[in-house]
Amino acid sequence: MNEVSRRGFLGAVSALMMLPAVSAAPHTESGKRYAMLIDVDKCFGCMACVVACAAENNVPLGSFRTWIEQLVKPDGTRIFVPKQCNHCEDPPCVPPCPTGATYKTADGLVLVNDELCIGCGACVKSCPYGARYSNPVKGVADKCTFCDHRLAAGLLPACVEACPTGARVFGPLHEDNELSKIVRSRPVQLLKPHTGAEPQIYYISLPDEVNR
Amino acid sequence: MLEYYFPNEAAEPLLWHPVLFAYTLLVSGADLLILAALAYLSGSLRRAIPLMTMLGIAFFAVVLAGPLADLRSPQRAYFIFANPHIVPTSTNPGISLIAFQSIAWLIALTLSALFALFTFSYYSHQASLSSTGFKRSLYRFFSLGVTTAEKYGTLEKIAKVIAVLMLPFLVLWGIYPSSMFLMQTWNPAWRSWALLPVTYFADTFVVATALFMLVYFFWRYRALEREVVVPVLKIHAAGSISVAALTALQMAVWWFWSPSTAEMVTPITPLMYVVITLLMLSFSLSFIAIRYHAAILAVSLVAMAGTFTNKWNIIVNAQLISKTGLAFLEAELEASWILETISPVALGVVVFVILSLLFPLEVSEGGK
Repeated sequence: MNEVSRRGFLGAVSALMMLPAVSAAPHTESGKRYAMLIDVDKCFGCMACVVACAAENNVPLGSFRTWIEQLVKPDGTRIFVPKQCNHCEDPPCVPPCPTGATYKTADGLVLVNDELCIGCGACVKSCPYGARYSNPVKGVADKCTFCDHRLAAGLLPACVEACPTGARVFGPLHEDNELSKIVRSRPVQLLKPHTGAEPQIYYISLPDEVNR
Repeated sequence: MLEYYFPNEAAEPLLWHPVLFAYTLLVSGADLLILAALAYLSGSLRRAIPLMTMLGIAFFAVVLAGPLADLRSPQRAYFIFANPHIVPTSTNPGISLIAFQSIAWLIALTLSALFALFTFSYYSHQASLSSTGFKRSLYRFFSLGVTTAEKYGTLEKIAKVIAVLMLPFLVLWGIYPSSMFLMQTWNPAWRSWALLPVTYFADTFVVATALFMLVYFFWRYRALEREVVVPVLKIHAAGSISVAALTALQMAVWWFWSPSTAEMVTPITPLMYVVITLLMLSFSLSFIAIRYHAAILAVSLVAMAGTFTNKWNIIVNAQLISKTGLAFLEAELEASWILETISPVALGVVVFVILSLLFPLEVSEGGK
């Protein structure tokens, strides 16, 4: 409470002087560029990732940080496409935030500072992937954080750990790891590349219909 | 293809509640101030300036009550001023239009208040001569010591400078809501509505003049003045025909140049026809009202019905078109939203009543 008051006071003074204050970023940065790879061929829609995410992050009922969309081919084959925040390189959700509560870390994570968010919904409206939602419990914008609290403890995001088929691969890009090897060696697709947001969730075997 | 949707969007299809409807209505306060400033600078419509100024300030002062009611964490609303995202940094690239406009509001309101104080100084002195008791003291206080036309001359020059300074900020506010909608590029209807800013700008003038005529009618219904009614009606007619034409033009653009968009916006086109019809009717009635001044009430009510429909369609219905453009989501309108929508407008009315008690809206030219 004291911290908020102090920030509010200092911020009010800077606003009076017409000097913008930079938002506090609670996230600890490691200097890496985190990304995720999702192999659509390996996903069979068990929803383990959805449940693990909801349990790990207290996601309210009716809202989702990650979800699975289904497509049915003309022959009846079902295709499951897991989706979530793409932690874009050029995130469209960051500029509209009036208080700087939504920010991008040097690790490439796009996060929300709950203490600065006023719940205006501008970021929710500007996300091309529908990955953000207004958290009715906290009164702030909410989304996938790549489980940054788990990363800080050396753990994988909950959805990656829960996936029974290894459809989700997580790690820093440009390093010697499985994610980088696959991204370098196999054809990968992005969601809505035409937006120019440079999403950092890479897909394998993503049906063309998803981006139509 | 099956089940292509965004679950979060389906869970809360109306993220921005209908209170934005009241919000954009209150933005017309900025347009009334634009008209007052232009009238003051050009020396025309002088008898309408006091009412326009006070009506404009009353509604513009409470304009942020609309989005405030729509915030999920309104207790932190002051962060917009305390921590505005108006300079790009590595962690916060870009600038926020909402933060920028909030600061523009503060500047515009301060300038408008100074403009009102200075322009009303001599009016207040004139009013103090014919009043008694507490009201006389009040008018004397707001006369700022201006007791002669010569003294007012100095303040008038300052007021003109202020009028020029406040214009850009007020114009920014006139197009703000539509610019904000257009920047939410992932709403397929808004991002395809290229004429939205200019339509909205004209639309706020329609609301502003309609509101002015409504208040003016009930205030002076026995003595409506031609020199006030006719110019306002002409501005109103120009605004009405502009909005109707721009709405029709936007529909034509969709039909002829983007059939897929025309198909996507099908759920909102019926109300666009209603808007065109009502505003054409208001345009026609304006000419009748030029001859029969009492008809300004009908002009005002028809125009308001038209712009209310327009705003509802743009803000609420367009928001219900899903991000894919493939579905029209259903929103359950909550009863509390009615109060939420009426309250900011009611607050504007209260502020106007207070201002009309503090300042004389009746102007006598030349100190007579």
